[in-house]
Amino acid sequence: MSSLVTARNVSKHFGDVRAVDDVSFDIEKGKIMGLIGPNGAGKTTLLKAVLGLTDCDGELSVLGLDPFRQRKQLMQNISFIADVAVLPRWINVAKLLDFMEATHPNFSRSRAEELLRETKVRKDAKVRELSKGMITQLHLSIIMAIDARLLVLDEPTLGLDIIFRKEFYSNLLNDYFDEERTILVTTHQVEEIENLLTDIMFINEGRILLDAPMDSLADNYVEVATSGENSVKARGLRPIAENEMFGKSIFLFEGISREHLEGLGEMRTPAVADLFVAKVKGARK
Amino acid sequence: MIGHQLALLKREIWEHRSIYVTPAAIAVVVSLLTLTGQVTVSTFGEAVDMAIVGASNVDEEHRRVALLVMFTGVTTIFSLGAWIVMVFYSLDSLYAERKDKSILFWRSLPITDAETVISKLITALVVIPLAFLAAVIVTHLVILVLTSVWVEMQGGDAGHLLWGSAPFFDVWAAFLIIAIAYPLWIAPLVGWFLFVSAFTKRSPLLMASLPLLIAPMLEKMIVGSTFFWDAIFIRTFRPPLTSIDLEVFFDEDRAQELIEQNISLLSAIDLGRFVTSPSFWGGLIVCGLMTAAAIYVRRYRDES
Repeated sequence: MSSLVTARNVSKHFGDVRAVDDVSFDIEKGKIMGLIGPNGAGKTTLLKAVLGLTDCDGELSVLGLDPFRQRKQLMQNISFIADVAVLPRWINVAKLLDFMEATHPNFSRSRAEELLRETKVRKDAKVRELSKGMITQLHLSIIMAIDARLLVLDEPTLGLDIIFRKEFYSNLLNDYFDEERTILVTTHQVEEIENLLTDIMFINEGRILLDAPMDSLADNYVEVATSGENSVKARGLRPIAENEMFGKSIFLFEGISREHLEGLGEMRTPAVADLFVAKVKGARK
Repeated sequence: MIGHQLALLKREIWEHRSIYVTPAAIAVVVSLLTLTGQVTVSTFGEAVDMAIVGASNVDEEHRRVALLVMFTGVTTIFSLGAWIVMVFYSLDSLYAERKDKSILFWRSLPITDAETVISKLITALVVIPLAFLAAVIVTHLVILVLTSVWVEMQGGDAGHLLWGSAPFFDVWAAFLIIAIAYPLWIAPLVGWFLFVSAFTKRSPLLMASLPLLIAPMLEKMIVGSTFFWDAIFIRTFRPPLTSIDLEVFFDEDRAQELIEQNISLLSAIDLGRFVTSPSFWGGLIVCGLMTAAAIYVRRYRDES
């Protein structure tokens, strides 16, 4: 198996708070894994452990390396954007490229320059003079010019307007992603990326609620909009969530085949956001 | 490894422009002051003529010492500036990157925390002193050129009065040694600043200086001894680098004695005494421990 990230019983505690609580998962080569969770769910802590920025308990291997202890080797093959604002504000674009070239063995300056030519970012501009969207374009151009096996994106489009957000993901897919690369991405705006994910993982209160390929969601989860008597029937089939909308009851079922639900009402595959809410609420019960 | 280190050092200079702007600014100010001084002095025509005649009549040794005193005086101004830049730089070096969160970007690159912290230590202990030394040498030359023009305008012979007597090699070699040795002497202090800069959440200057003031006070009150006071304040300003006290160059009577002994700055430096001083090595060990602590904090502390 070509597993890039392997986690077995990974935990990270801050005093009594279990930020990550006994988590196990695999991320395979060529996948785009979405890590979805509310604030304080442990997403960032988990990413930091994967990036070797924080130590953790349990077994964690990234590209076959111990991320915390072999961080330097790891960073030659991983790139990450932690937040839009982290590029140093005093540096200018040309110096940033100089520095990358001098320190990163897998960085291609010509590739970065090629990507930057498609943006309005000038080479003599300082980061502090750029708009938030342009800083992200710059950061993304640099990241995409690194020949990395794993790209980690932590809320990469936070605070950007919709046009930049769309562009960000389309650049990523069209100019960067291929079967040799793997992406791990977290975001609040799950509806924006659910179409490009191959796999999805829900995390809440440090625990994984769901870890599945996207194309398996349609087989395992179904949403039915019912009314009247059908609602009572549907309730009897133990849905994992129930919502009222436009006078209809919307039920979300897990592990029940579509044939079983035939005739109860209109069926569709739930949106990831709805599924996430149902899972989080279900876990609280 | 060395390539990384050079790139990191370059980055420090890009980020902290005060490393070269401050010495350049001091050089400009000192040169301008020289110029205004000469213009002002020129109004006392007769006295100036007398002075030049006087200078031509004293022997070369006297002129050499006079220039040596001038060179040393100029250098003193720069060393004060170097101190200030060094303190503020080392306090800022590991604090600013956390404050603006760029640390997350720097740490996304294949560079270890040790490499980064060491680049900051080298900047404080080597790059800053050498930048100031370069400015000192340029300023010495500029002052001599300005003075030559002035002396020639007053009818004196600058080549004979100034250039023939200027102890360039003696002064510059001595200051080069001091610029390398003195930062190593105060390395424990710089290490302390780096460490504070790595851990403090706010006002690094306050966080670094309070313990330096409080520790000697507590020690004196509780134990009655003065170890910290001596280690922090007395030691810092008394490097065992010279066989004679440099202050004598400012004391006319004793300077006269030195002139008779044909003394030079370079011969006043006693490197053997310096490198065999246990206090020097002890200081380096403290600096090493502080640097290790700063690396540890940068590596292990969670910045979220």
